[in-house]
Amino acid sequence: MLRIMLINDTPKKVGRLKVALEEAGFDVIDESVSALDLPQRVEQLRPDVVLFDTDSPTRDVMEQVCLLSRDQPRPIVMFTDDQDPRTMRQAIQSGVSAYIVEGINAQRIKPILDVAIARFESDQALRQQLLAREQQLDERKRIEQAKGILMRMKDCNEDDAYTLMRRQAMSKQQKLIQVAEQIIAMDKMLQ
Amino acid sequence: MHDDDTTASTSASENNQSTKTVQSQTAWVAGSDAPEIPLVNLGFMALTDSAPLIVAATQGFAQAQGLTLELHRQPSWSTLRDKLATGELDAAQNLYGLVYAMHLGLSGGSATPMAVLMNLNHNGQAITLSKRLLDAGVHDGASLAAYIRQHPPLRLAQTFPTGTHALWLNFYLGSLGIDPRRDVESVVIPPAQMVDYLARGDIDGFCAGEPWGAHAIAEQAGFTLITSQQIWPDHPEKVLSARAEFVAAYPNTTRALMRAVLEASRFIELNQDNREDTAALISGQDYVGASTSAITPRFLGRYEDGQGHAWQDAHALRFFADGHVNVPYLSDASWFLSQFRRWGLLTATPDYQQIVSDVQRLDLFQQVATQVGLSLPHSAQRQSTLCDGQIWDGQNPEHYAQSFAIGIEAH
Repeated sequence: MLRIMLINDTPKKVGRLKVALEEAGFDVIDESVSALDLPQRVEQLRPDVVLFDTDSPTRDVMEQVCLLSRDQPRPIVMFTDDQDPRTMRQAIQSGVSAYIVEGINAQRIKPILDVAIARFESDQALRQQLLAREQQLDERKRIEQAKGILMRMKDCNEDDAYTLMRRQAMSKQQKLIQVAEQIIAMDKMLQ
Repeated sequence: MHDDDTTASTSASENNQSTKTVQSQTAWVAGSDAPEIPLVNLGFMALTDSAPLIVAATQGFAQAQGLTLELHRQPSWSTLRDKLATGELDAAQNLYGLVYAMHLGLSGGSATPMAVLMNLNHNGQAITLSKRLLDAGVHDGASLAAYIRQHPPLRLAQTFPTGTHALWLNFYLGSLGIDPRRDVESVVIPPAQMVDYLARGDIDGFCAGEPWGAHAIAEQAGFTLITSQQIWPDHPEKVLSARAEFVAAYPNTTRALMRAVLEASRFIELNQDNREDTAALISGQDYVGASTSAITPRFLGRYEDGQGHAWQDAHALRFFADGHVNVPYLSDASWFLSQFRRWGLLTATPDYQQIVSDVQRLDLFQQVATQVGLSLPHSAQRQSTLCDGQIWDGQNPEHYAQSFAIGIEAH
């Protein structure tokens, strides 16, 4: 069963979503949008989906969405009455996986959540791959840099420097990149 | 081939290659050979056999192929199977028998089309028996067979029901005239836990990969009855596997992974220094998590059986041997199918040829081998003589499966 954290910002319609969600068989955790420690709450309660119910996403709500997608990424669904495309765009840029205007009924909730989760997962995978690519380039640069330092210090050629680094890494049960970082750090200290 | 002279020059050219790869990266991206995804989640077990994967992931070999290999150690073969099936792992070290059990749907759950990308090693497993049995006079196959005939069934452990170790154990017992299905009790235990079970007396012996056989001797819990290379010299052992779906979706990534592992395997066997460094690396807590004293000797082919015999093994653990080790021979795969058939895991004659040519990705191996400058064998079958004196050459596997005195039973 999916655990849903429901963040309510619509005092006049209190409970409209909660009831629908519970009827659809979800486990609902209630939260207030004024909770300042939302990422920590999400970390503690580990919901599968975070759902905002809001008349119109205020600056506070957007802030919370940004914080969440940065610190505790989760599928975020926003139910709102605000039809302004600019608001929608802003919400999606902040990290909302699904932006739903009006019209909530129990039957529609499940497919909406499924789409939001799928969208979130593919976004996460893309992000992970982007990070991996950046990290690869960065590691490659640092290994080259460390190789250069060793060549200068040991007055050896590129291959010898590389072999030295690998030997050190393997005998210390470390990755090549870790040894490269140590060499760079040491070099900085000695300068 | 691997004397010190070639070592120096090959290692130099290898480094040149890695620099060249950096430069040609842009050309790749523009062309068609760049990995479709930069990150591969790779499963492995705490075994000496994992060395090429650990070296490839940590020592710059994957990086040179534009890949990051994220290593995930698995507590048991069944966990590895589940994570590979669900896609949590993209590729994994695997047992031949486990890959084929997944492919055929014999290991619980539905069939998952699988790919064997390359063989990772030959040899290097062993059957270990308890000190208690040694004290009772069991020291070789004949004395074991005599003991089994006079005593209640021994409890012998292997690492996975359809796995390589179960099949080595069964094959060896069968060659002694012992029926592993009724004359012994067979249990499944993850390799890294074997020695604890043996020391506590919960099992009488086990078949598993190193360093756990050597570790049992060091802990004075057991002795080596027979090595797997005595059962089948240069037998196929672990393979690099992936779901067929993954290979189809990410062919460039798959080839980059294979190149990284092949280059790492080549590196390990380049010289003695590299072998020793590799043993030191894999002993780390994140990898095999055993002392170098348990790993290194057998890694270098220095055997001691815990009953006073020591030898330099002519068929010790091999990862490369100029790429000969890595060929995913069709005959290696059909041997495992023939044993599935023999022990009743397959109750009807399977289409051996169709199955093994679907799973063994000789096409990919051929492309990759050419890219890293390996010469390929002329045949997809090879010939071996096993410990029972029978020849296995990949021809007529059903006839082979039917040929054993202890074998297929009528249902």
